[in-house]
Amino acid sequence: MKQPIIMPVLSDTMEVGRLVRWLKKPGDPVKKGEVIAEVESDKAVMELEAFSDGWIAGPLAPEGSEIAVKQVIGWIADNPEEAKGEAAPTETAPEAAAEPAPPPEKPAPPPPEEQAPAAAPPPPKEAPKPPPAPAEAPPPPPPPQATAPSPGGTVSPVVTAALEPRRPASGGITPLARELAAELGLDPDTLPAGADGVVRAGQVLAAALTAPAPDLSHNPPHQVELPSALRWKVALNMQRTTDTPMFRVTTTADLRPLRDFAHEGEWSLTLLLARACALALTAHPLFNQAWTPKGLARFERIDIGIAMDIGEGLVTPVLRDMAGRPLEELAEDWRILKDKTQRRRLRPEDYEGATFYLSNLGTFPGVRQFDAIVPLGSSAILAVAAADAEGRTALTLSCDHRVVFGADAARFLDTLVTRLKQPETLVKP
Amino acid sequence: MAEEVLIWQALNRALDELMAADEDVFILGEDVGLYGGSYRVTEGLYAKYGEWRVRDTPISEDSFTGLGVGAALMGLRPVVEIMTVNFALLALDAIINMAAKVPFMSGGRLPMGLTIRTPGGVAKQLAAQHSQRLEHTLMNVPGLRIVVPATPQDAYWQLKQAVLSDEPVIVLEHELLYFHKGPLDPTAPPPPPHRAVVRRPGRDLTLVAYSKMAVLAGQAAERLAEQGIEAEVIDLRSLSPIDWQTCVDSVARTHRVLIVEEDCRFAGAGAEIAADLTERCFTQLEAAPMRLAGLDMPTPYNGTLEAQTIPQVDDIVAAAHRLVKEAS
Repeated sequence: MKQPIIMPVLSDTMEVGRLVRWLKKPGDPVKKGEVIAEVESDKAVMELEAFSDGWIAGPLAPEGSEIAVKQVIGWIADNPEEAKGEAAPTETAPEAAAEPAPPPEKPAPPPPEEQAPAAAPPPPKEAPKPPPAPAEAPPPPPPPQATAPSPGGTVSPVVTAALEPRRPASGGITPLARELAAELGLDPDTLPAGADGVVRAGQVLAAALTAPAPDLSHNPPHQVELPSALRWKVALNMQRTTDTPMFRVTTTADLRPLRDFAHEGEWSLTLLLARACALALTAHPLFNQAWTPKGLARFERIDIGIAMDIGEGLVTPVLRDMAGRPLEELAEDWRILKDKTQRRRLRPEDYEGATFYLSNLGTFPGVRQFDAIVPLGSSAILAVAAADAEGRTALTLSCDHRVVFGADAARFLDTLVTRLKQPETLVKP
Repeated sequence: MAEEVLIWQALNRALDELMAADEDVFILGEDVGLYGGSYRVTEGLYAKYGEWRVRDTPISEDSFTGLGVGAALMGLRPVVEIMTVNFALLALDAIINMAAKVPFMSGGRLPMGLTIRTPGGVAKQLAAQHSQRLEHTLMNVPGLRIVVPATPQDAYWQLKQAVLSDEPVIVLEHELLYFHKGPLDPTAPPPPPHRAVVRRPGRDLTLVAYSKMAVLAGQAAERLAEQGIEAEVIDLRSLSPIDWQTCVDSVARTHRVLIVEEDCRFAGAGAEIAADLTERCFTQLEAAPMRLAGLDMPTPYNGTLEAQTIPQVDDIVAAAHRLVKEAS
């Protein structure tokens, strides 16, 4: 028996993964839990472990290919002979998918007993039998027959008859889509069609919700390249924040005491900044909330996400319980997170779910001031610029106006600046 | 209190209670008396109410149906059993020319409290002449009411409502549903006899069905749900009139409709349903209504072929997948 190895689902949003490399080849023995391959999701490269003891069997999906989640990428066999043998004809060879493909929607054919024609159950045995049949009474039911095909098999004549008149379903716009387009003030002729050429409600809604595509016809000649998965993800996340009503409040603070303290204690400056934010949040719990369609989500813990530049994009590793744990412990977490970030080994639980964010561009001396975008799921983000000659640094707090107001932001910044003047208070929670 | 009964038992109970309550209610048909009905629906009534009120007739559909029409004209409440709908063809003159039209032609002065009970549909290997779906023929007769119960509860209610009605009502029973079990609560308030019900809510498509196909549609919906498709199942319960509002409300939610019927596709009940729903729901539709129906051919005797001429649960599942995929 061979059991399929499937492309794992590493995050809620993951539709496709890249098979970075195989660490085993067909015929190699593996133990349960042993790493057999590396797989790359939106943000991270992760190790794929064997789910049972056995021998790796082909065909294996090619390295470097993009594969939809839950697709078979290889096999684990019970014995070495089977692992070396050719793939049985019934097995699906792993396929590389160029685009994110949905998981297979067709179920396996039902077991044979389910293929008998569905009908009312025969009378229960204990019930008294009807009297002897007259000429027109029905004969006893025949034995079950295997007839109606499964959705995955050949189509029955009844289904064929239903589908026959629908054959030339190409082009045009559905009545619902036309009505929606009229209501939304969209010209049906300009709407993009689906794969079968038909404009349906989904396309109308997507067109209404998507920013118009730029018209590049008068721009210089160009080629369109697909951005990396990471850039797609960041773009999508940022676009989703366009409905957030945002305001910004800027103050300046003298960060020299903090810098000196960090230097003496060999603390990371970013860690201390995040700690100062967390302690300010304990005094202003309004900021540790997020707006949701159902109401305000009040978080019971302060988790700070720290924006990190990784060259071709941006990730936000999260330090959990930033106000309730010893600074030494947080420093160790931060070291591990930074290491994972550099090696692109962050998992979704490492970079998702912060309640407050910090973005520090202070290492770029020319940045006098900037503001950041509040990610969904939080209410504020602090942008830290570079210090000027006098050591003054601009701190800009971007806020979700549905959750907090200008005076709240002013009070928060006041508390934060006070904390930054007394860095020794950051050690104990 | 609801108890689990078979559909024939629910019908039997309704008749018993009607006869006990009103002396004007009587039964006539072939083998309804001493034999107890070919599907047991009149079992025990002959012994209880006697041969005057449970009357065995010769094989003479037009005559005994005509007798029922005459009795109804006199103000009685006859319940005529036609052994299967196939033999109703012999009684169409009494049904169409008399029962359906007399109340109209008399300006409403002549009552027509006639109930005709008749089994129909494709059972098991009864061949072409005994496996007909004639709902389209009966639906085409102005003045006739047609109810199509799919559960013991509806069978009980709708037969009672039919007998108490002053309009001619055909209770179209399905030969394969007589031994279908379900709850019966005689004390629950019945809905109007011609109202459709949503048997299962869903968001992805609407399955419109009746009689045995309503049962199969429910089973298909369960399987579709396991595959991530939420089908709303509507049991029409009545074919004349049809409760359009329940269907329209559902299509407004799902935007896709799959009609499942055992009747032949060409000019069948589903054709009427599809046409009317298109008119009523045009701007709500993401795809043309789809009809899954019996093939346009006489039903073969061979069991394998027979099963392929009418929709099965697998067919409903497959068609639903196609419709949802087509319109998404």
